[in-house]
Amino acid sequence: MPAPPPTQDELYREAADTYDAALERLARAYEADAEVRRDLLQDIHIALWRSFEGFDGRCSLRTWVYRVAHNTAASHVIRERRNKSQTLVGLEELESVPAHRDGELAADRRYALERLLELVQSLKPLDRQVILSYLEGLDAGSIGEITGISPGNVATKIHRIKNVLARRFQEGGRHGE
Amino acid sequence: MANESPPNDRLKSLWQNQPSEGIRMSVDEIRHRAGKFQKKIYRRNAREYVAGLAAVVFIAFEFWRMPDALTRVGMGLMIAGMLYLIWQLHRKGSARSLPAEMGLASGLDFFRRELERQRDLVGSVWSWYLGPLIPGWVVLMVALARINPGHLRHFGLTFAAFNLFAAFAFVFVWKLNQRAARRLQRRIDELNALEGQR
Repeated sequence: MPAPPPTQDELYREAADTYDAALERLARAYEADAEVRRDLLQDIHIALWRSFEGFDGRCSLRTWVYRVAHNTAASHVIRERRNKSQTLVGLEELESVPAHRDGELAADRRYALERLLELVQSLKPLDRQVILSYLEGLDAGSIGEITGISPGNVATKIHRIKNVLARRFQEGGRHGE
Repeated sequence: MANESPPNDRLKSLWQNQPSEGIRMSVDEIRHRAGKFQKKIYRRNAREYVAGLAAVVFIAFEFWRMPDALTRVGMGLMIAGMLYLIWQLHRKGSARSLPAEMGLASGLDFFRRELERQRDLVGSVWSWYLGPLIPGWVVLMVALARINPGHLRHFGLTFAAFNLFAAFAFVFVWKLNQRAARRLQRRIDELNALEGQR
């Protein structure tokens, strides 16, 4: 007899156990304010738990978790933009802007992390999804599945991400070594 | 991404090893908070409906006190327009995506759908927000002009200035929303271009 499908609670528990830290990092990338971030993370967990009521295994658990989390966070960004009229940029714009290099970046991990967060938080939601997935170590195929961007475009965006990161952090890295 | 440069590997490691704030909730707590969240939404919606209905009740009260038939027709139309507006707010507000849909939609699809929903909302502001109030307003103004209270000096001038201001406010809201709709459309076009390159 085949095993019964996992319940909503079981799926949520598995997702939370596996992706708890990743979801916290994701919330950090979408919201700078610590208080609001806690609310956003809570919203993501609630959305995730509720979403498992309709999980039919059409995609992997990882893709599902990241989609729900990114989409919940993107809604948050859309809402916040209405309130704060915050300007977000695309990877293309970041690539064309002369980068500020800092020799202390690699030496001071906390400072480097702050700069990396600033960079991620300044990006448009879809570009943010790509860079976050890249930093989480996901491959191009998985990034395409989560974001819905074609493999060709994912490759282009990853190329741009590498350029931007190299221009902003690599120089400092050499100094710090 | 097999041939990763060492600095990017360091950045990935830096990213993945951030200190955690350790916020974790049990399933029971999640269920409890999901219920509270739902109640909060219901309460917020209820507040909006009550505020809208209070305005309707106020106009309805005035309606009974008005001896002039045309004024009553204008107020009746105003009430109908406001009820239609409240219903539209309810309908459009409940069209938000459900969590399960978020899991089925990729970031691109979800983001585009949200932007399209907003564009349609602000782009059609005439048909669901401003338009329904106009018939009542026009009839009320005609009724007021017909009554033309003798005790008001410069009635014509005041009346014209008031209506000009109201018309200006309507056009201003409409133009503002149109501009927002165009801005949203540009963002949707950007997303479509991303998809078109598949």
